[in-house]
Amino acid sequence: MNPASRGTTVGSAFTRMLEMLRPDLLRFAYWLARDRSIAEDVVQETMVRAWKARTELKDPAAARPWLFTILRREHARIYERKRLPTVDVDEVEALGDPALASDGDAALVDLRRAILRLPDEYREPLVLQVLGGHSTAEIAAQLGLTQAAVLTRLFRARNRLREAYGLAAVEDVE
Amino acid sequence: MTAANPHCRQARLHIGADPQHLPEEVRAHAASCEACGRLLEETRQLDGRLRQALEIPLSEFRTSSAPAPRRLALAASVLLALLVGGGFWFLKATPALAGELAEHVTHEAGSWNMNEPLSAAAVGAVLGKAGVQFDSSLPVVYASACPFRGRTIPHLVVQTAQGPLTVMLLQHEPISGAREFSEHGLSGVLLPAGPGSVAVLARDGEVPRELARRIVSEVRW
Repeated sequence: MNPASRGTTVGSAFTRMLEMLRPDLLRFAYWLARDRSIAEDVVQETMVRAWKARTELKDPAAARPWLFTILRREHARIYERKRLPTVDVDEVEALGDPALASDGDAALVDLRRAILRLPDEYREPLVLQVLGGHSTAEIAAQLGLTQAAVLTRLFRARNRLREAYGLAAVEDVE
Repeated sequence: MTAANPHCRQARLHIGADPQHLPEEVRAHAASCEACGRLLEETRQLDGRLRQALEIPLSEFRTSSAPAPRRLALAASVLLALLVGGGFWFLKATPALAGELAEHVTHEAGSWNMNEPLSAAAVGAVLGKAGVQFDSSLPVVYASACPFRGRTIPHLVVQTAQGPLTVMLLQHEPISGAREFSEHGLSGVLLPAGPGSVAVLARDGEVPRELARRIVSEVRW
């Protein structure tokens, strides 16, 4: 195989990987931004940046956390560049965003609404963990926190969601 | 489980924070403490629903890399051009060929996301396999020699101001006139060219007619 076709093969594999992970990137972006349009822009920027930096990804198995990291940065950048207003959750609900779409499962919609209402500091580590499959150590590294702080935030995030799930909140850990 | 019990407090923290990856001592504690065991079970059930909740449906999301307003403007301008420009574009393409083209493109959906222009050598290597030349004035960001109907054809993606367009050089597919089609969510045009035809497909909006013609004029058979 000549270098050009090897490059094409590697490029194609990278593109396939991007396509495969795109749904989760969109979902992660949505839960960060709580706005579909912003999420779409963030994912677009993320994919462009990932493509440009593709040689930096040495281990394909690490693609997911690598892309999530890029996405977090792009999400922060898009706010810096565009000075976007803070998303109002009531407005999100009024607009009938896809997160609130239901297949007749009202309890699921309630849970999504409760996630949207979580403060960023609780929502982000929770999404990284449950959707991104990150360990608490990886989340700590991503967010620049101690692992103990991540544990506390995750505990509080779930504790707030227990009510939306029909369970009583438990006593706080501190 | 009591707040005063440090084992319970520690277990509660871990169960609430990371119920799928508990330290061994917390697992052992939950197995022997009824309250913490119940909390673990509830939290694991909650987590199953949480995952479901986070996996929002994506059907409402944009699938393209082109910004929506631009796509709308493009669609509007092309519609106007079609209304003014004459009827032959409304002819329908041979369904089988159009369907196969669109299906082929959807199988290489990643090609739409390429942004880096390829070198002339890389593009030339692909074109050479089909014995054609393409002096593209637009950046070629994807080039693959693909099997199609028993032949090897160049499958290219060019970047335009309106977003990416797929160009397929169909040396062995002669057609009687220009056709448009819409298949698998893609719109496209087939234009007679050289001994065969050229297909130009867009994922979003319509294919700009003048651009398609320009692309055809840049192919040398």
